[in-house]
Amino acid sequence: MSLTFLVPLFLLGLAGIAIPIIVHLTRRQRRNVVAFPSLMFLEKIPFQEQRRRRIQNWLLLALRALALAVLAVAFARPFVADTELGAAGPGGPREVVVLLDQSYSMDVGNAWEAAVRAARQVFASLGPLDRASVVLFSQGARVAARSTSDPGRLNAAVDTAVVGSGTTRYGPALKVAQTILEESELPRGEVVLISDFQRSGWTGDEGVHLPAGTVVTPVAVQEDVSDNVQVAGVSLVRQAVGGRERVTPTVRIARQGGAATREVPVTLELDGQEIQQRSVRVDPDGAAVATFPPFTLSLPHTRGTVRVPADDLDGDDARYFVLSPGRSIPVLVVDGGRARRDASLYLERALGTSDEGRFAVRVRRGDGVRPADLQGIQVAVLNDVRTDGASAEILRHFVEGGGGLLVVAGEAASWPASAADVLPGALGPVEDREEGRGGRLGFLEYGHEVFEIFAGPRSGDFSGARFFRARAFSASDSASILARFDDASVAMAESRRGEGRVVVWTSTLDAFWNDLALQPVFLPFVHRLVEHLSGRAEALPWFTAGQVVDLADPEALEAAGLASAEAADFAEDADQVALTPSGSTIPLPAATGPRYLPLEERGFYVIRPPGSEPERPFTVAVNVDLAESSLARMDPEEMVAQLTGPEAGPAAGPTFEAAALAREDLERRQSLWRYLLLAGFLLLLAETGVSNWLSSRRSRTPGMAIG
Amino acid sequence: MATPARARGSRSGARFLDPAVLARIDNLELLARTVVDGFLSGLHRSPYLGFSLDFAEHRPYMPGDDIRRIDWSLYGRTDRHYIKLFEAETNANFVVLLDVSRSMSYGSHDVSKLDYGRFLAAALLFFSNRQRDRVGLVTFDHDIVEYVPPSMKHMDTVLHVLDRAEAAREGALRPPLMTITERLSRKGIVVLISDFYEEPDAVMEAVVPLRSRGHDVIVFHVLDPAELEFPFQDASGFEDMESGEQIPVIPAKLREEYLALLRAHLHELEDRFTASGVDYQLLDTSKPLDLALFRYLSARERLSRVR
Repeated sequence: MSLTFLVPLFLLGLAGIAIPIIVHLTRRQRRNVVAFPSLMFLEKIPFQEQRRRRIQNWLLLALRALALAVLAVAFARPFVADTELGAAGPGGPREVVVLLDQSYSMDVGNAWEAAVRAARQVFASLGPLDRASVVLFSQGARVAARSTSDPGRLNAAVDTAVVGSGTTRYGPALKVAQTILEESELPRGEVVLISDFQRSGWTGDEGVHLPAGTVVTPVAVQEDVSDNVQVAGVSLVRQAVGGRERVTPTVRIARQGGAATREVPVTLELDGQEIQQRSVRVDPDGAAVATFPPFTLSLPHTRGTVRVPADDLDGDDARYFVLSPGRSIPVLVVDGGRARRDASLYLERALGTSDEGRFAVRVRRGDGVRPADLQGIQVAVLNDVRTDGASAEILRHFVEGGGGLLVVAGEAASWPASAADVLPGALGPVEDREEGRGGRLGFLEYGHEVFEIFAGPRSGDFSGARFFRARAFSASDSASILARFDDASVAMAESRRGEGRVVVWTSTLDAFWNDLALQPVFLPFVHRLVEHLSGRAEALPWFTAGQVVDLADPEALEAAGLASAEAADFAEDADQVALTPSGSTIPLPAATGPRYLPLEERGFYVIRPPGSEPERPFTVAVNVDLAESSLARMDPEEMVAQLTGPEAGPAAGPTFEAAALAREDLERRQSLWRYLLLAGFLLLLAETGVSNWLSSRRSRTPGMAIG
Repeated sequence: MATPARARGSRSGARFLDPAVLARIDNLELLARTVVDGFLSGLHRSPYLGFSLDFAEHRPYMPGDDIRRIDWSLYGRTDRHYIKLFEAETNANFVVLLDVSRSMSYGSHDVSKLDYGRFLAAALLFFSNRQRDRVGLVTFDHDIVEYVPPSMKHMDTVLHVLDRAEAAREGALRPPLMTITERLSRKGIVVLISDFYEEPDAVMEAVVPLRSRGHDVIVFHVLDPAELEFPFQDASGFEDMESGEQIPVIPAKLREEYLALLRAHLHELEDRFTASGVDYQLLDTSKPLDLALFRYLSARERLSRVR
């Protein structure tokens, strides 16, 4: 062991020690002049020259010289060249990144314990100059310990990790590893991937490009699952019966593996209490459906769980859901004063055909609209109505306040010019499409919420509908065209006004001007259109682990099951606290901007104001992604080959001198200069103190006082 | 204004003789009154000496009165001691010559030599004014700076001149004293306050003519304790306050020689003043004014006796 210097040139600074000595020796007394009444007697004394080359304050000199010496040594970056410490593997020290899979499939058998053991072995094999990072990953990746050689920190990072509810995605974790290796100064990089290597987590085109020469070491800890039964899906069909809502849960049970058909008991729990149990027979690698008798849904935020007996893979043995009684959308259909009595027959029937009683339809005849008509209404449909100016203004306020307006343009429909800005354009004359077989819808905006569900193949065919008449329509600049006829004229246009939406349908919704009402797509089309106009988001019975809910976003809260008024209050409310399924709490303080609640565990998240115990708290159900239940394995070497590529390999050596790096690394790790710098600072501080003390002592001796 | 000061002075007058205390009193008249009253209250006999022969009245003898003033014939008749009081009469010129050369501005503590001389002069002048003496003042450096002729009515002027005296220029004794000697035609009491940074021969040459003119000369040699003890430690450049000349001095090396030279100088001055009939008193500016006042009183007493 010997002391050596990284930048010995700075030792030349030791010559600076001469400065205080020279100052001490050459400091003249000129600055210390004593005024004296008369030199009469002093001048009579024979003058003897006193040589000034005599040190007066040894302590001060020593402090100054020592401070300078310490600073010079500090800048020379000293370190102890310990031969043991300097020992590094061939090629220099390593930067090791341990990627530890904590997806819920790692809970099978002893896979997690084996993974932790493997990680500890990697830490134990680190050389004195090696550094390691721990990255925990499922569908996302989190750095638990970054580039450290402290085994305590590394082991602690692994010890505190637990198996989560996420799914395996290798891409994010490997990209984190790539970043760490790219930022590392060490010559050798190594990635240790500890996982059960589910095929579903690797697509092969994650865009990971590890630095050249990186060694990827896969550690497979998979355990075979011979028979896994999972709750593959829950369907919750709602029906309005006698003004009350009844929900019929249908559960799909899937089985992977197994040798023989077996009975699987399926349990339904509501608000923590077991309600029903069904038993289904499931074949090996087969599936079965269990239908439970309907239950009445009367309370908001009702928690439900469908469960099968626990097996090797626990994560998929239960599905959680939260239901609240449905809320129908109040719709006002206004038929024109001169319209036939059955003008809105198809529309009424379509809206009335809903298992869940989703729409509460009220029909009114007459051309005018009064404010009382719109009381409690979310969507108003003007079915071929001649609208006067007063009604148009009433409807303007209705829309600006959040209501939805559908203008169905039949023969009699008109809109006053005074309120032309409310509509997405101006209605024109009636246009006949009687030649040939009539017109058809030539363009639909499938990206729009109304037509989104029809985007897929065999999801609804609008091309079968024939249109014989329509009103010409000139859209305004701010309008969105949602549908056009095959002659490019506008079939449907939308504009937003205030909080609400206005949609104009340029043909009728009956069977006279077109036969759309006779097409199968008519009912879902009308449903989607009215739902879209109502602005209501569909409540989700559950979320998937890994999703994030913004508690400051009313729409997100509505999607999570809150009524719109509740959601608005909740979003503006003060502090909230979320109780996770594992029992820990996540504070969600009131703040401007988003309040994200990450849903990382399966089960129920209860969200409530801190310190309160609401009877029916806002609850969010979280289920695992069933893709993780697919335990199909991949060959780790296949992944390694894709990651490292044919050109990469051990031949890609360090780009700089490893020995020099080792010296720098040693010096950096010891950081003796910090202590020396501190010592130098303290010495200078002491020097200042001593100097001041000496000065004050000198000033106390008699001098001059001119009075 | 003067009453509280007088009351304090009469209670603990000695305290007011401390130059450090006096330095805090701005009003020179108040200072002088404080000093004199404080000093007198500590005496056991009356310092007032009448030189007039005009009888005024008798009053009972009080402890502290000079027993020579007892009217023995009245005692024979009444068997009681009475003092004969005479109408006070202006009978002497009292002139203070105060050195205001720059060296007098030196002070190693709160009070400079000039301050000390100022206090002393004010006190003596005030005292003498009470005695109905004609008071005058001369401030000088190498020339006469201010001259206030002796008069009964000049007390205020004298105090004013004293108050604004500044030590600003080089000093020399002989030229101003010779001039003063010429001017003071009437014999009187002359008090000379200086630090006497001149050779004894030159000093005597300047002072003796005053004495030769028949004045009663009292010399107060004012020195700062730092001049008397030379307590300096660090090697420093010493600068002559009057000439500006500088010499390097290592006090530790020179102290003994300096003190020996100073002692010799003081002894020689004292010897030669005494030989010339001049009262000489060395004053340390850190010490109270008592010594100076006693010296003055004893001189006055002696002088009155001689008369």
